[in-house]
Amino acid sequence: DFKGQKTADDIVRVVLITSTFLSFVIGFVFSSLMITMSTFALCTVALSLVVLPPWPMFNRHPVTWSSVQ
Amino acid sequence: MHSIYARVNNASALWSTCVMVLLGAVALSSFLFNADPKGDLGIVSLKVYHSKTRRYPFKNEEIGFVKFNLSADLTPLFNWNTKQLFVYLEAEYASAQGVNNTVVIWDRIVRSKEDAMIDVVQKDKYRLRDLSGSFSNVLAGQYSLKYNVMPYVGVLSYGEAARTSEAIEFPAARDSVS
Repeated sequence: DFKGQKTADDIVRVVLITSTFLSFVIGFVFSSLMITMSTFALCTVALSLVVLPPWPMFNRHPVTWSSVQ
Repeated sequence: MHSIYARVNNASALWSTCVMVLLGAVALSSFLFNADPKGDLGIVSLKVYHSKTRRYPFKNEEIGFVKFNLSADLTPLFNWNTKQLFVYLEAEYASAQGVNNTVVIWDRIVRSKEDAMIDVVQKDKYRLRDLSGSFSNVLAGQYSLKYNVMPYVGVLSYGEAARTSEAIEFPAARDSVS
């Protein structure tokens, strides 16, 4: 679970920063602000689908609690 | 993190920072586009008539009527960050006492690159009047076409696209025929 938390954090950070660069560059190349905003929005939606719901992949290493005395 | 709320919190914080950086980059990219379009402006006629002031119909004043011939190609000003162009024609003159006046007599909003070619022979939209009410104390004036670039994100910028080549005297006022 802790490993899953770190994975989620990494994914959020990497995807957001690359989508900022990517949408700026793509929009600049095609000279349309619409394209910039729509690629950024698409990346945001994709990111939220991956990271926000509690997928089981984030729980691959669950915490082992010690038993009650 | 450990729950949806924590992940939403973390993601939205970084997301808002990224949006601000993206918009700031778009605003800064406007400085890369330096266009300086020039056009031609000619005055077909300038007439000055006696008439009533708009607000106080019992007071007389002199109004100037300008017909101008304007052709300008403003398409270089349209980059990815331009939302619209505000184009306006100004009459600039100095009074005999040395006070400089500028009066906007015509304007147009240009919203797309296709509309940016301006080729008109038109008369003024707004009244050309002097604050003193009369053009008799006024030196010859020049007319200039200026534009204001309004971006989607960023700072407004101004420029001048055309100017009359020589100054034009204001004729003596006459009474209108009708």
